[in-house]
Amino acid sequence: MYNEKTWLGKLKVFGLFAAVPLFVFFTVVILPFLAGLFMTLTNWTGTGSYEFTGLSNYVVALRDSVFWDSMWLTLKYVLFTLLLTNVLGFGLALLVTSGLRSQNFFRAGFFTPNLIGGIILGFVWQFIFTRVLVYLGTEFNLGIFSSSWLADPGTAFWSLVVVGVWQNAGYMMLIYIAGLTGISASLTEAANLDGASYWKQLTRIRIPLMVPAFTISLFLTLQRSFMVYDTNLSLTRGGPYRSTEMIAMHVYNEAFVYQNYGPGQAKAFVLFLIVALIAILQVRAMKKVEVEA
Amino acid sequence: MKMRKWASLSLATIMLTAVLSACGGGGKANEEGQTGDSTSNKPVDITVLVGKEEIAKPFEEMVREYNELQDQAKVTIIPLAGANGYERMSTLYASNNAPTVISIGQELPLMQDKLLDLSDQEWVQHASAGTLDYATFDDKVLGMPMAVEAFGFIYNKAVLDEVSGGSFDPDSVRTVDDLKALFEKIEASGMAPITVSPLDWSLGAHFANIMFTNQSADRDERHQFLEEIKNGAVDLENNAVFNGWMDTFDLMKAYNSAKNAPLAAQYDEAPLYLADGQAAMWFMGNWAYPQIKEADPDGEYGFLPVPISNNPDDYGNSQISASVSLYWAIDKEQSTPEQQAAAKDFLNWMIGSEKGQDYYVNQFSAIPAFTNFQIQPEDSLSQSVLYYMDNERTLEWMNLYFPPDGFPTMGASLQKYLTDNLDRAGVAKEFEDYWKTKE
Repeated sequence: MYNEKTWLGKLKVFGLFAAVPLFVFFTVVILPFLAGLFMTLTNWTGTGSYEFTGLSNYVVALRDSVFWDSMWLTLKYVLFTLLLTNVLGFGLALLVTSGLRSQNFFRAGFFTPNLIGGIILGFVWQFIFTRVLVYLGTEFNLGIFSSSWLADPGTAFWSLVVVGVWQNAGYMMLIYIAGLTGISASLTEAANLDGASYWKQLTRIRIPLMVPAFTISLFLTLQRSFMVYDTNLSLTRGGPYRSTEMIAMHVYNEAFVYQNYGPGQAKAFVLFLIVALIAILQVRAMKKVEVEA
Repeated sequence: MKMRKWASLSLATIMLTAVLSACGGGGKANEEGQTGDSTSNKPVDITVLVGKEEIAKPFEEMVREYNELQDQAKVTIIPLAGANGYERMSTLYASNNAPTVISIGQELPLMQDKLLDLSDQEWVQHASAGTLDYATFDDKVLGMPMAVEAFGFIYNKAVLDEVSGGSFDPDSVRTVDDLKALFEKIEASGMAPITVSPLDWSLGAHFANIMFTNQSADRDERHQFLEEIKNGAVDLENNAVFNGWMDTFDLMKAYNSAKNAPLAAQYDEAPLYLADGQAAMWFMGNWAYPQIKEADPDGEYGFLPVPISNNPDDYGNSQISASVSLYWAIDKEQSTPEQQAAAKDFLNWMIGSEKGQDYYVNQFSAIPAFTNFQIQPEDSLSQSVLYYMDNERTLEWMNLYFPPDGFPTMGASLQKYLTDNLDRAGVAKEFEDYWKTKE
């Protein structure tokens, strides 16, 4: 890749392109990560002195049933948003590449939710769930909307899923559009001449060729749903009675709101391990199904 | 080609140096602020961390005015910027940028080593009775009370006058049965008796407070109760105060304006309901007055105690919870003596000068926690609080002694009770289980 032969030349290129990003990455990602890891072994309270406490923070963190409830809830949330976002995103991508007349307008429209910040989006949807839907529900006697979805643990969870899917599906649609348009026309033409049906073309040609797009989309939705915080905060604030506290919010609350820095940071590290493991497994599995045309 | 490469390389180097020197520059400016410059007459820079979002705007104006009035100190506000108080404090301390003046509440015990002893200040003599208890550690006063905050049943006087046929006397409700009779009368006239805002802090910090304070009129005894519940030595299910308190909660639940969907009730709607007379009462505190005033500027409002038994003389049945929940404190670890002196001056000006008092009472809608204030609040709700204070009919805010996760946990139990997902025994058990972990 590099043409530089001398040591100095290599150093120059490194200094030019990599030194600044590496420095920034080191100071804002690696250092805090290590400091955080160190913190889990102490009883530091955010200010002042501390003592080493071994692994006791991890014991506290792992024994906390609320932590596991929150983790379980988050896994459930990830599962549903992952499926729904990608099904919807892919469906929309097929729709807006099928040659509709106003497809550019629709592309922009479906993508827009992604441009709105999560906090604003949460408040908009909070208004919809607590006012608009309740108003419609009482006016037209629709049982499921007669009271706010955010007031009941079960429906509050689904509200979060709805908003999460609505926010991310447009973005995934964009990735799938790129994947779909990247398929060489010669392949679909050949399939057409051979008399392959639309369904056959989709499952045998398009989807297999789009596996890289699926890998990216699944990875992104996985990561985004696991780390969801902003919509969680503005939509439910973890309520009612802490039943919709996703894992990111749980970790934040544990450390800063309940002032348990050590266990909070330990939970964050456990979360990191789980997410890293899932992400690696997912990318590895997807690599196996990738094909070349 | 070669030329161009060198140009971009040097550009990158310049940028890198700029980044590094910017960091260094920041550090230097900071150091200057730390050591202060006593030789010249430059004003001392002090910073204030304000945790109360409700008063952020008028507070800013007050600080601007203070900066114009004198040239000894220049006050800068550090906003919370969305973080919670403790998070902000710990980051500021960790980055060696500790604020000179800090508004501090429940974090006080954690931060006590870092705060300046203010016992020699004049205002200590004038602080209202009991308001310094929480901020006193080893006989040192570490915080200046910010304002008195009170909560109880806020009532709309016009509505209750109409219901009771004549001028409503808040002292006429002293027992659970009285309260029930009042609720029935209100309901009979076609209004919702009460709004219960299902927020974890309102239920878990404020309503729960009553269960703890009413255990005993004696401060030591009720704090003993707090210790005992941590040791698991309290049997709530057979505790008279707990049961009376739950009886009242049952009434609030049954006559709640949002009883069909108790957790869907929105905080912002409640002051409007109260002002419109859609709901005659609201369990809330005087901090909500600005919103009530906006909806009904001329209305008269007052506080009713939360009765928890049928003996009118029982402790708590004629008292409302009124206390100081936030204090002003001064950092002694990272601030210079000059800064500390300037901070003391600022605090004294705030509560001692006519301007400061005017801001305090009229702009922050605060009830002063000092007996020597020249300016007194005039609105009806504050008058009601002052009435209880003057008659020494106030309850402590014991929730200041709750651990940080106390109110969300107890609030959650009460929310479950509101929606029938938990019964009385369940609430008792969840409370006991929670407190046992805090030994």
